[in-house]
Amino acid sequence: MAAEEAARFTLVITGAPYSSQAPQTALYFARAAVTAGHTIAQVFLYGDGVHLASSLASPPSDETDWPAEWRAFLGEHRIPATCCIASALRRGLLDESEAKRYAKPASNIAAPYQVAGLGDWLAATQDSTRTLYFNGGQS
Amino acid sequence: MSRRYLFVIDRAPYGDWSGRETLDMALSAAAFDQPVALLFAGPGVHWLRGGQLPKAIEQKTVSRNLAAAAIFGLEALYVPEDELERIRADADENLEINPVASIRDLEDQYTDVVRL
Repeated sequence: MAAEEAARFTLVITGAPYSSQAPQTALYFARAAVTAGHTIAQVFLYGDGVHLASSLASPPSDETDWPAEWRAFLGEHRIPATCCIASALRRGLLDESEAKRYAKPASNIAAPYQVAGLGDWLAATQDSTRTLYFNGGQS
Repeated sequence: MSRRYLFVIDRAPYGDWSGRETLDMALSAAAFDQPVALLFAGPGVHWLRGGQLPKAIEQKTVSRNLAAAAIFGLEALYVPEDELERIRADADENLEINPVASIRDLEDQYTDVVRL
């Protein structure tokens, strides 16, 4: 039997940590995909999913720190990750340069996340064999 | 591989930002000359009502964004034909709405189906 062809996945996460299971489900999928020899080409945070990029999340020590788990996974596998700028700005997620631009007192998006527009999402979908969306629950 | 994008809006407007952010994705893909269509289903069909006055709740009308859809090159606004009855009398007359008999058949025509 021929080996299964390796896939290139783009993952779009639109559910926030701690209000949805989306970041956790996406991480489990990503770990399984990499273990099986597939590639995660890009992770794109959109809508409420941008909260995953916050470097200030500080959950209690007996709870899983999903933002930290994701940062570690992205770093370990050198996976590019983008945070949608429009989604991020309206939810109070800013990198250093946006914080300066809008004269805000702090920033909370840092590496490995880049801040960019939907053009990055579109390019990622075109460059992948499949794009999967991990959403929060219906309100 | 060439892509075809179908965006599904299945929640009513104004209650959350998911529909607006879905529309942003659709308009962005269309701006890059990709084939794009929108499907409104369930409570999402209320996006297509005319005479929306969201100023009272300090929001911007979604009708204007939808009216711009054709200008930005969106191929079609689809509604399941059995759900169209819910709003037919009140549908925004500025929008061209395309009834579809089967959501599954419609989705089969697209490589990327996005439902936030």
